Amino acid sequence: MKLIITDLLELPFQVEGEYRVIQPREPIASCVGCFGCWIKTPGRCVLPDSYRDTGILMGKTKQLLIVSRCCYGCVSPFVKAVQDRAISYVHPDFILREGRMHHKRRYQNRIAISAWFYGEDVTEAEKETARNLIQANNENYGGRVAEVLFFDTPEQMGGMTL
Amino acid sequence: MTAALIDASPKRKGSTSSILLGKLRKLCPPEIRTEEAALHTSDVPAGVKETLQSAGVWVIACPLYVDSVPSHLLSCLMELEPLGPEHPGRTVYAIVNCGFYEGEQAALALKILENWCAKAGFVWGGGLGMGGGGAIPTLAATEKGPMVPICRALAGLGERIARGEGGENQYCTVAFPRFLYRLAGQMGWRQGIRQNGGRAKDLGRQPEGEA
Repeated sequence: MKLIITDLLELPFQVEGEYRVIQPREPIASCVGCFGCWIKTPGRCVLPDSYRDTGILMGKTKQLLIVSRCCYGCVSPFVKAVQDRAISYVHPDFILREGRMHHKRRYQNRIAISAWFYGEDVTEAEKETARNLIQANNENYGGRVAEVLFFDTPEQMGGMTL
Repeated sequence: MTAALIDASPKRKGSTSSILLGKLRKLCPPEIRTEEAALHTSDVPAGVKETLQSAGVWVIACPLYVDSVPSHLLSCLMELEPLGPEHPGRTVYAIVNCGFYEGEQAALALKILENWCAKAGFVWGGGLGMGGGGAIPTLAATEKGPMVPICRALAGLGERIARGEGGENQYCTVAFPRFLYRLAGQMGWRQGIRQNGGRAKDLGRQPEGEA
């Protein structure tokens, strides 16, 4: 199953095979840093909305595509809120990878993570930050980076197929 | 000079960010007048905006969330971006704390804040990336022992603010061995899940969910 996390309400590209999309169909609450998803309801966010099972979905995917406006080299607030609410994808315990502390795996899947950023005024510094951010996400998820692409507008993704 | 100390943790009480700002306030040279401001949600309250508009220096403190700033702060940054041209020369400093041991893991969050400054027209003064953030609430009462590197970095930041200087980002962590920090953290998770009626092995549960 492919998983797409996007701030767009309509996907401007083709997707082949089985997939799930997380998009802003309803308001999302921000993570409040309670760690309930680790110590109260392990694996699931305690905030009761339709985004609480994102960590579970991430545990079932091999391919994660982030489609987002690029905001200062970060993803957009919606996409970031989804990511923040999905830290239960990993286990709270720590391990060391390449000399740095990370979280242990909860699931055994290894995600290939791609990011398609859009925005007309994205600077080179922001692009470099965004590439490094996806690489850092990958190091924490324990997967691999497939690709990081930039588009001026979502419509430019029209010829793409996932 | 007035510096707005902005608590940008989503937690309203007892956050590591608020503790670090409290220590910065105490360690700042006396010529700096500090004002408190809080960004706990995705919107910037009107009163907070007024406080921020009257301060020539902003110090944003937040936790590291998924290699970056928390989503609610990102929303606030977008809302505050138009204030840049209203006050050219306003300098922004940042303190990002992370639960990992290495303060360097906050580097990307600081870079995102620097990029925001560039886009908004603020002056980026540099930031502190602080590791071992999970231990700081238990050490809040002291500036000694494990807190020495943290407080030294905060005092240095206060001096930079007083001199109106920018600078490179600096990284530090609590003076506590990494293996003990890791052990204490993992004991904390086990204690936490037991307090919620679970067992240690439940920490690794893989729920099916409604997904």
